[in-house]
Amino acid sequence: MASPRHVLPGFRLSLGFTITYLSLLVLFPLSMLLWKATSGGWDHMISTLTQARVLASLKLSFGASFAAALVNAVFGLITAWALERYTFPGRRLLDAMVDLPFALPTAVAGIALVTLYAPNGWIGAWLAKHDIKAAYAPLGITIALAFVGFPFVVRTLQPVIADLSMDVEEAAACLGANRWQTLTRVVFPALLPSTLAGTTLAFGRAVGEYGSVVFISGNLPFKTEIAPLLITMRLEEYDYSGAATIGVVMLAASFLILLASNLLTQWSRKRTGRA
Amino acid sequence: MSIHIHNISKTFGSFHALKNVDLEVNTGELVALLGPSGSGKTTLLRIIAGLEFADPGEGSIQFHGKEVTNHSAYERKAGFVFQNYALFNHMTVAENIAFGLKVMPRATRPEREDIDKTVAELLRRIALEGYGDRYPSQLSGGQKQRVALARALAVEPQVLLLDEPFGALDAKVRKTLRKWLRQFHDETKVTTLFVTHDQDEAFELADRVVVLHEGDIQQVGSPQQLRENPKNEFVADFLDCVMI
Amino acid sequence: MPAIIDLAPTHTARPRKATSDSLPARILIIGTAVGFMGLMFVLPLIIIFQEAFRKGWEGFAEAFDDRATTHAIWLTLKVAAITVPLNTLFGLAAAWCLSRFRFRGRRLLSSLIELPLWVSPVIAGMVYVLLFGAQGLFGPSLKEHGIKIIFALPGIVLSTIFVTFTFVARVLAPQMEAQGQAEEEAAMTLGANGWQMFWRVTLPKIKWGLLYGIILCNARSMGEFGAVSVVSGHIRNKTNTVPLHIEVLYNEYQFVPAFAVASVLALLALVTLILKTLTTTQRGAA
Repeated sequence: MASPRHVLPGFRLSLGFTITYLSLLVLFPLSMLLWKATSGGWDHMISTLTQARVLASLKLSFGASFAAALVNAVFGLITAWALERYTFPGRRLLDAMVDLPFALPTAVAGIALVTLYAPNGWIGAWLAKHDIKAAYAPLGITIALAFVGFPFVVRTLQPVIADLSMDVEEAAACLGANRWQTLTRVVFPALLPSTLAGTTLAFGRAVGEYGSVVFISGNLPFKTEIAPLLITMRLEEYDYSGAATIGVVMLAASFLILLASNLLTQWSRKRTGRA
Repeated sequence: MSIHIHNISKTFGSFHALKNVDLEVNTGELVALLGPSGSGKTTLLRIIAGLEFADPGEGSIQFHGKEVTNHSAYERKAGFVFQNYALFNHMTVAENIAFGLKVMPRATRPEREDIDKTVAELLRRIALEGYGDRYPSQLSGGQKQRVALARALAVEPQVLLLDEPFGALDAKVRKTLRKWLRQFHDETKVTTLFVTHDQDEAFELADRVVVLHEGDIQQVGSPQQLRENPKNEFVADFLDCVMI
Repeated sequence: MPAIIDLAPTHTARPRKATSDSLPARILIIGTAVGFMGLMFVLPLIIIFQEAFRKGWEGFAEAFDDRATTHAIWLTLKVAAITVPLNTLFGLAAAWCLSRFRFRGRRLLSSLIELPLWVSPVIAGMVYVLLFGAQGLFGPSLKEHGIKIIFALPGIVLSTIFVTFTFVARVLAPQMEAQGQAEEEAAMTLGANGWQMFWRVTLPKIKWGLLYGIILCNARSMGEFGAVSVVSGHIRNKTNTVPLHIEVLYNEYQFVPAFAVASVLALLALVTLILKTLTTTQRGAA
């Protein structure tokens, strides 16, 4: 009998099941993307990607996601700080609400947002008075993407803020730093890597988002058509390799974003000394 | 039951926790594994229990002459008392103690009434009568420690292994429990090994003391032998006595 | 009492702890957080229920007195009934091997399990079209045998499994890691075999986290839109799930029914959030 290397039982069973399930339902299907994208040859891939409409949609998807991630970075940091450092009535409620975008179906969020920001909606009407167009414009897309990405920044930052030992702040104060100096020179540098990590995750989530965006975006080719929507159009036209090509670009972006976020988290651990 | 440990090594990555350890424990002995932290004493205890496996190779562990090197923890059924008790927090004290009996195969499992009787008897012995319906979170550290002991004893193990059994307790409770354990051992004569970093504890309780350092056994002997004749500088220094 | 208060009338400002911010700063920060979340999260929730009850309770109830709506609800329940148990089983297995064992490739496996969360739902649907669609890899042979996966229930289930794949494992693995394995080890030394240990010790320990994972997985599988939209073909009374049906209603300007159906899913989301808060408190207390 071979030496049982693991103390607790079930290693082979659980690992075997996990890998089989993962391979059959996720990895193998995803590999189809590469197969189909390259099936038309490099020329087809390049011609697909250089179409003005495809380029416009990718630019919009990444651009709006980036803008949304920036909004999330600022408000996520403020919210995480408020939730971890202060006690105020409704704090628990606010904390629970952060996860709403995880739990609320994207289509439901989509129709709610467009109803709010449409020119005759509660916020849209007010914006229209100031000549700002939100719904059916890039601004609306950014708002929807900020909605889906927000929890990632807050939930990444919360444990880091909670663990940030207050004695460094006290030490800074003892050394004569005022509160503002303490925050800008001691606290924010410590939080910077995880803020970036959370923001990167929010960005990654936003790039692929579909349901909450398609209602508010208006879906005008070259103007307000996001990349995931263009994929569905290509599929409906049975241009599978074209759809797969756009998909591969987005998948590669997801990988890079995840990698970046992992590196940022490692950096954050180094900086804050979290295990 | 006697325990034979032959040529056991354990590495974690590049760290050698144990280096070719040999040890014999006789039936009915009370043995202390003594050493500073990182000396490998807990690793050795866990290897005996089957909670860790030695590096594959020549090494072997025998319980009363029977080869158990490749047996899993639940086949060895060594009574093990964990440093932080590892009580099942979702079970009452009585359920904790009865656990080992309830998971026996149907053929050998005692009747319900017998299980209840055993639990009541053990509760009496650890002086926690009337605590059966409480949950571990409602007990003090010393009480938890005694429940952990009773839980390990319920299945009548042939060997009892204790990992820093009094480590997390205050000095007074420690003293009482020490006395209690010695007395208990004198009554039952179950082969017992316990890990400690406290030399007073080892000397007061154990028949024989095993001194470990950096994965090596430095010396084995009765408290008196160790005190009078430390084998090397480390032992002398650690036991705080002068080398002759 | 006044005597105590007026002890130092000239020194009005109380000294502040070095780690706390001034009152105006606190009010500004809390106000910004509350304002942002109110605008982004609370207002959309309010508008859903406001629109759903625009024509009163009757208008709301009428929305569900519709064959296409009830069919969509049934289909969604069916999809969730298949997806959630499968992903729960997977989540338990994955969390067990990730939290209890150290092996080569563990971090890679952990990242791969997270992957579906970062893949666009549209891609999640598309890969199954590429596999089983008319021009897909297995399309021709499936057609020969008369098996329909795309534009049918199996395709919807598969793509839903893909997008909700991560949730149970993601909730359980860190929790189990944090709990440690001493109790499982104790069970082993007391003679419990693998299943006894799992049912009597592990499961009771993780039940609240497991419950939250299941509820979250359920909410996501009932609400999945992008992936299902690609594989379903939008056949009314056949392959329209609730979110797809909401889209159809909305695009047909049937706003009250659309929001009425949406409000049910919004309620489900709120229940999920409440359960999360409750289960994390339970875990904290344990």
